[in-house]
Amino acid sequence: MRKSLLAAGLAALLLSNAASAQTLNVATAGDQNMVDYIKDYLGPLFEKSHPGVKVVAVGTGPGDGGSQKIFEKLDAQKKASANADFDVVVVHQKAAGTMVQEGLIKKYRDSLPTGKLVTRESATNALGTDVSGYVMPMFHSQTAIAYNPDLIKNPPNNYAELREWVKKNPKQFGYNGIKGGMSGVAFVTGWISAFGGDAAKLEKGPYDAATKATWDKAMADLKEFNQNVVITPGNAGTLDMLNRGEIAMGPVWVDMFYTWKADGKLPPNMRLKLVSPGMPGQPMYYAIPSKTAQEKLAAEFIALATSPDVQAEGIVKRFNWYPGIDAKNLEGKLDQAAWNQLFADIPPDTLASNGKPFPIGPYFNDILETYEKKVAN
Amino acid sequence: MAKPSFFGLLLIAPALAMIGALFLYPLGFSLASAFTEPGGGLSLTHFQKAYELYSTDILFTLFIVVVSTLLTGLFAIVISGILTLGETPWLVAALRALYRWPLFIPFIVAAQCMRTFLAKNGLMNNSFVALGLMEPLQATSFLDWRGIIITFVWKQVPFVTLMLAGAMASIDRATIEAGRNLGASRVRVLIELVLPQVSQTLLVGLVLSFVTMLSVLSVPMMVAGSQPTMLTVDMAFRINSYGDYATANALGVISYAIAGTVAWIYLRHSVKREVQA
Repeated sequence: MRKSLLAAGLAALLLSNAASAQTLNVATAGDQNMVDYIKDYLGPLFEKSHPGVKVVAVGTGPGDGGSQKIFEKLDAQKKASANADFDVVVVHQKAAGTMVQEGLIKKYRDSLPTGKLVTRESATNALGTDVSGYVMPMFHSQTAIAYNPDLIKNPPNNYAELREWVKKNPKQFGYNGIKGGMSGVAFVTGWISAFGGDAAKLEKGPYDAATKATWDKAMADLKEFNQNVVITPGNAGTLDMLNRGEIAMGPVWVDMFYTWKADGKLPPNMRLKLVSPGMPGQPMYYAIPSKTAQEKLAAEFIALATSPDVQAEGIVKRFNWYPGIDAKNLEGKLDQAAWNQLFADIPPDTLASNGKPFPIGPYFNDILETYEKKVAN
Repeated sequence: MAKPSFFGLLLIAPALAMIGALFLYPLGFSLASAFTEPGGGLSLTHFQKAYELYSTDILFTLFIVVVSTLLTGLFAIVISGILTLGETPWLVAALRALYRWPLFIPFIVAAQCMRTFLAKNGLMNNSFVALGLMEPLQATSFLDWRGIIITFVWKQVPFVTLMLAGAMASIDRATIEAGRNLGASRVRVLIELVLPQVSQTLLVGLVLSFVTMLSVLSVPMMVAGSQPTMLTVDMAFRINSYGDYATANALGVISYAIAGTVAWIYLRHSVKREVQA
């Protein structure tokens, strides 16, 4: 008798478990901090408001390569007409554009309660592809030049001054080329925008394959510039060398810079400068695959992630990113100290004027390939 | 000749199927992709592109791997020579206990360690400065081609030494003792008596090391900046940044060719020996 009771109890337990155990799979491209953000902060928050749901975060690797992996998986599953394994994906701009064109992600933003809070242009235009409605910016990230104010009293204000400075101070500036992460890529595309001619055309199009021939001079100058710089191994490599005092200046991601500083991995006196005519930044996007089992849950997850409270506490305060939704929605949610810290070195007006998008897809690839051909080889 | 038995074939079928599905098919696929143009016809466009963009990196890769292989051989000979011919018991014991350690450390961990060890203000230079061996201003960063070579040699020496020391231990000690009795120095015994008897093993070890080093991605990516860099990094970049598998496969074929040349030298050498024997 007791045995059968026990068995019934166990069976009931198993059943109730099976009924309530829903798993939301979130795949994210980007560095480890992206996975940490979902695993340690956003996931537990969502699980609290949705009892019985479990959020599983998977990282697919840094840079566009990580997004490429998500694209390849969704593409393969679509071709096999299967449901996607991922319920929410977090991808870069380049991959988001391709996914929209291939019909791999759903148009969901207009039905989202937070959809109206987005104002930035990058929410509708991803490197030249119209993505409005398909993506929700998670945050905006910006590159800038980090420098050590003990060694450099007057940091260069623009690319031309930087070039002169490097000539006078050889091997004191370091960046990671184009194969070691996006901060180096950002520096190079900024260089082409500054010296290569028509910068607005690179951002807005239309694409003209002949344009790359006009970059020869800028690329040759960059090759000469490279003679006097240190090529570092990766985004973290640049920060490492700044930390050890091996270089005095180098391009970095603003969020990584602040996080490293907060962790004590960079001297507290390090500063940032967003030089003219500008350096690129980019958002990461939340998107929902067009065929997934947890569609409703996924939308609720993204709504939570883009709510003003989460954007203030998680994105700005804990991870030092710029908010994905319009910053004015965060007023009152954030204490003044956290707000000031984010804009200490780069005031909002500088961010607005010198924070550029990356060039549109085809120009972006042309710049990288011309760099490989003319500068690196 | 014996007729192959049906059951014998059946027994090796799973292994053959594995090789076919997981090695030969992907190999054929990447070869085909490297030699076909977007339209479908045969062409060398991808190779032309690979050459235009990465000719420096191809030479750089060859340089790194050849120098690393030679240094690995040299260090392996020295260490296994000491292990076999050494007459200082504590030195031999210490070396025997220590030399295998890097074998158990993955390339990526080794690369991560070297990244902070070899940096300009890293552990190595700081120790030299603290010991008074060097002025802080003389410190230079080894995080370039030298860093890659140091990491590769550090990682591959134990592997070759393991094979070589084993081979040296199994040769007839009488030849060594005869040489020593007749007054030959230990170095001379090593070079003129021991090495010729184990050259085959040394060659195998070095060929395997060469191919391994050619295929490592983590070390060049983490230790050195990307200009110039090794072919593995270029292949990863081609796929990650452009989704361009064709050029990546062309670079892969160039790697096969380099590895194949070494394998061919080895095979020729061993066939010659077979014929002599």
